[in-house]
Amino acid sequence: MADALVEDFITKLKRRQVEGSLVTARKTALVLRQVIAAERKPAPYQASQLIELVKNYGRKLIAANPTELAIGNIVRRVLHIIREEDVTSASHSAANTEDDVERAGPAGGGIAASTGNRTALLAPALKNLLEPTPQLQKPGSDSGSVAESESKRQEKPKSDRASWRLKHNVIEGINELITEVENFSSLIAEQALEHIHQNEVILTMGRSKTLLNFLSEAKKKRSFQAVVAEGAPRYDGHLLAKELAVLGVQTTAITDAAVFAMMARVNMVVVGAHAVMANGGVLAPVGLHMAALAAKRHAVPFVVLCGLHKLSPVFPHDPDTLLNDFKSPSGVLDFGEISDCLDSAAGRVHTPNPFFDYIPPELVSLFITDGGGHNPSYVYRLIAEFYSPEDYVL
Amino acid sequence: MAVRWQAQGQPAVTDEWLSQAANSRHPPEERPSVRAHRLTGDLRDTRETANMSVVEDFDYWRGKPDLAVAVAAIKALTAVIKRSKATTMMGLEIELKRASEELKEREKSSISLAAGCELFLRFVTRTSALEHEDINAGKERLIERGEQFSEISIKARQTISKVGADFVRDGCTILTHGVSRVVVSLLKLAASQGKHFSVICPEGRPDGKGIQTARELTAVGIPVTLILDTGVAYVMERVDMVLCGAEGVVESGGIINNLGTYQIAVVARAFNKPVYVAAESYKFARLYPLDQRDLPYDPKPVTFAEPLPPNMKVDNPSRDYTPPSCLTLLFTDLGVLTPSAVSDELIQLYL
Repeated sequence: MADALVEDFITKLKRRQVEGSLVTARKTALVLRQVIAAERKPAPYQASQLIELVKNYGRKLIAANPTELAIGNIVRRVLHIIREEDVTSASHSAANTEDDVERAGPAGGGIAASTGNRTALLAPALKNLLEPTPQLQKPGSDSGSVAESESKRQEKPKSDRASWRLKHNVIEGINELITEVENFSSLIAEQALEHIHQNEVILTMGRSKTLLNFLSEAKKKRSFQAVVAEGAPRYDGHLLAKELAVLGVQTTAITDAAVFAMMARVNMVVVGAHAVMANGGVLAPVGLHMAALAAKRHAVPFVVLCGLHKLSPVFPHDPDTLLNDFKSPSGVLDFGEISDCLDSAAGRVHTPNPFFDYIPPELVSLFITDGGGHNPSYVYRLIAEFYSPEDYVL
Repeated sequence: MAVRWQAQGQPAVTDEWLSQAANSRHPPEERPSVRAHRLTGDLRDTRETANMSVVEDFDYWRGKPDLAVAVAAIKALTAVIKRSKATTMMGLEIELKRASEELKEREKSSISLAAGCELFLRFVTRTSALEHEDINAGKERLIERGEQFSEISIKARQTISKVGADFVRDGCTILTHGVSRVVVSLLKLAASQGKHFSVICPEGRPDGKGIQTARELTAVGIPVTLILDTGVAYVMERVDMVLCGAEGVVESGGIINNLGTYQIAVVARAFNKPVYVAAESYKFARLYPLDQRDLPYDPKPVTFAEPLPPNMKVDNPSRDYTPPSCLTLLFTDLGVLTPSAVSDELIQLYL
């Protein structure tokens, strides 16, 4: 049943029927929760099996739409939850064995297992460079140490309950993750008043729901002016301009080409993002790199709104081609005109329609996430908080 | 005297013992010879021989072509533990401190050596903090980890190559500088992954380190162009990324590397090209240089084809400091780090 569900989701991802990082992230978490809930292996049941399972499904999901980094992020978040639960339950069981006075030997084993596990969870750091890290480097090996599996074997009567508790806690963790993903937009909007001041001119491009929430929250207390660039070839800026006008914001709609000219009188640029990379670079709808450069030229703060589920531990090795999606050229050139071009023997017009721009970290002034405002140079700390280093490469 | 007390199992703390401990805690104020005078006879003898051999050990390991300076230092310090007759962790720490001072004296300006010694001493302190009731068990553990350090170092090099090779793109041109084992192994790995790229090496006057790198890369079939050190700005427009090693990575996230790295980084920045640094994490040093004068000054001899007038000054410092604003990313065995992440790692270790 879980398999069918995953297959269905993969097909939808491939056909781009599920798009947008919020929807994808939520759906990924739901599917993984289902997969874990449906998993019924006989006890003794280990976290490493669960990790392998999630990794396998995760790889398939990522392959279905490699440009949607939110899938990989959620998979890694779920893996991190499992690893964390594994450590807490291991230290739990170690404490339990200690209480059982009749077995003196295994108690030591239990402690060794829990400490061994903890080092396995630790990120490789300078401070534990010289500490022994036996399992960490072997790819694909079980995360549990030998000592752990031994102690698990000895604890057979208890393992049923322990494994049930592990699974239960993991599912609880995923539920929390889903709630977090669903609520990120309002948490970001709450911070709007700190950043938008009276009578400021805010420039934006394109449309995102987070952006609309952010601006409408600011509108409740402040009166400001909005300049919206249309965001060709999607032209979703038109929609945003309309929505802002309905809210009573004084709105100016401009073409993308007018962004630079307009920048001189703008106080702040606020935009939504598709993904944030590990170095603080941003993948955003096409056209935003240009806006970021214009903002830099005029020393205008360039603020990016993004939920924490968009934070990816991947580095942009080749962002222009590997992480970009190319859409139908109909948005750039009408079909009739394209066919004219194709007919003529003189030559062809190439009409690439890339969906994303990569914005390097030095052009970003601030990230506003559901966890607060952060500098691009701080992104690495956030990543260390939410992901386990062994999951960076799936 | 102190040794005899400990050997008899009488844990007596005397003024003399305390002054010794204080001595070792603030060694830079005193010359080693002054320190030796204040020690009692038999103690000086054992220490003297130990110190002698620490430097010999270091020289022996340093002679191995594949070992980094920090690894050689840690090997030598491990040998000190093996020889040590100390019966307390405190005593062992004091001996190790003496030995590492001796090593640092040997190569005063080596940042990598100092960083390696500091890292190992820190590890010793942390280990003694654990509940090792038996000193021998503690010692054994230290020796075991110290001996495995060369493996850690080799593994670190592999990890760096792996994380760094992803950044090498098909068809790109890489400018490198100096000679670095990590950089060479990274480029070799990228080439073995079937990527086609070319490398530009500045010759690296006066010791020709760039030529050495060029030779190693050519041997595995990577196309290399050798240029003069003065040609860096000329080639920069066709370079896609700068990749170099580091002798030390300092707390600001900047690097200390052989002379010329700074100017290459500045030129790369002017051209908006990324500058990547490949360095093992044990090269992270607790230094915060603000400018070039904050580095240990260590001029190297340089020859000129023309005879120079006698009153002309020649200056050839061996290394320079590149500030973090000129660097893009650091490839380390802890993963890919932004320069600002370096201080984080150091604080975690030394706090």
